Amino acid sequence: MKRKTILLNTMDNVATALTDLKKGEKVNASLDAKSYDVVLLEDVEMGHKIALRDIAEGETVVKYGMPIGKALSPIRAGEWVHVHNCRSHRWGFHNEKYGLKA
Amino acid sequence: MDMLGYLRPDGQLGIRNHVAIVYTTHCSLVVAEKLRSLFPDGTQLFGYPGGCALREGPFDKIVALGQHSSYAAALVVGLGCEGTEAYMVAQAIAKSGKPVEAVKINQEGGDLKTIEKGSRILVKLLQHASLAERAKMTPAELIVGQECGGSDATSGLASNPITGVAGDLLIEAGGTYMHSEVEELLGCGEALAARAVNAQVAKEIAEVIEEAERRSFEGGRFSWGYGNILGGLTSIDEKSAGCLSKSGTKPLQGILRKYERPKVKGYYIQIGEPESGTFHGDPEGVNQFAACGAHLCLFTTGCGSTTGGLIPVIKVIANPKRMQLIEDNADFDATPIMRGEKTIREMGEELYAEILAVAGGKRTKSEIYRHYEA
Repeated sequence: MKRKTILLNTMDNVATALTDLKKGEKVNASLDAKSYDVVLLEDVEMGHKIALRDIAEGETVVKYGMPIGKALSPIRAGEWVHVHNCRSHRWGFHNEKYGLKA
Repeated sequence: MDMLGYLRPDGQLGIRNHVAIVYTTHCSLVVAEKLRSLFPDGTQLFGYPGGCALREGPFDKIVALGQHSSYAAALVVGLGCEGTEAYMVAQAIAKSGKPVEAVKINQEGGDLKTIEKGSRILVKLLQHASLAERAKMTPAELIVGQECGGSDATSGLASNPITGVAGDLLIEAGGTYMHSEVEELLGCGEALAARAVNAQVAKEIAEVIEEAERRSFEGGRFSWGYGNILGGLTSIDEKSAGCLSKSGTKPLQGILRKYERPKVKGYYIQIGEPESGTFHGDPEGVNQFAACGAHLCLFTTGCGSTTGGLIPVIKVIANPKRMQLIEDNADFDATPIMRGEKTIREMGEELYAEILAVAGGKRTKSEIYRHYEA
């Protein structure tokens, strides 16, 4: 069966859509012994991320086994994860180091 | 799997067997190019197109390239008054034990006489090359570089991760794997420092990344834009992590500054702005790896690329639409990942097999088209 998502590291709490996915679609994301089944709560475009489990506000979003940002609000499994609900802790919150106002 | 390499006098094993034609200044480029066009079979051309003054960087670069394991011999072509003096360059390359000769246009008496003398020398050197001793070579002797160009969303999701897997497999077999482009690893300082073999290397890599971050912000070259967000990337951290995936998971042995050869085997990061060459950008990056001793280079691209260089380039594409369009220049089809048909692990293993095939003599598209940019 063709995969619709890619899970890049077993530590990740998000997977990435390999194709445009629709709200209500049931998708699987798996790697090695890890396997998640989630129902999409909204449309997710190819290349965009899906929460694989509930992520609490302030919790670290992990992709490639690396922190890529913190949840700005609680994110439910199956939700789209992007700039509206996740921001870099390095450059999103502590950007004053470089005088950035992003 | 065993391959047959070309045994060089300094003990290096090459996977290709060329004669280098090295020009030492822009004034000798035309003659050097004519010599190459007279003997296109078995020669490669590179050199220093810059000015007259001796600068250590370009000198070291053409010497490091001349000593590369791909070359059985070299002919240095100079004018006569340049700082990167032809005999000096020839002598330095000859320290590797291979036959090296030099001709100077001013001394021979112009283009035609230099071409005549150079031609006779090349015939001799090409014959010498054809007698190169073959010796058994294992993946442990291989040095492989990794470069990206024309990246897109598929680079971080598929192409870069599979080069990381292939690099890991090479290192597990005792070999050496390196990448460059630290300016794309913003925020990865801690992750890389944690992989360093000792405190010194950890400190060095943390400083190198910190410096790259500072330059990116100060110079306004911060590689982050609206297009990245549209494509699904949420943060610089995510983009950098996608780039870092090309590094694999092995311990970082060290940082290779300009034209340094790896001292022990394993994973390295190569840094340093390239010296001016005839070509810039991606081929220059490929040749930087060659100057550090790399036998071949993996090249991941999203949009497609024609990139070649002095060493074989294996071009990896994972974007199905672009693959269809630029298949003529692609060597490794990573689109099954994007189509959900294969895993990163599976394709990484296939890419490793392709590395061994190319090391064993399979010619890449860049070689067949003679994309010997330098």
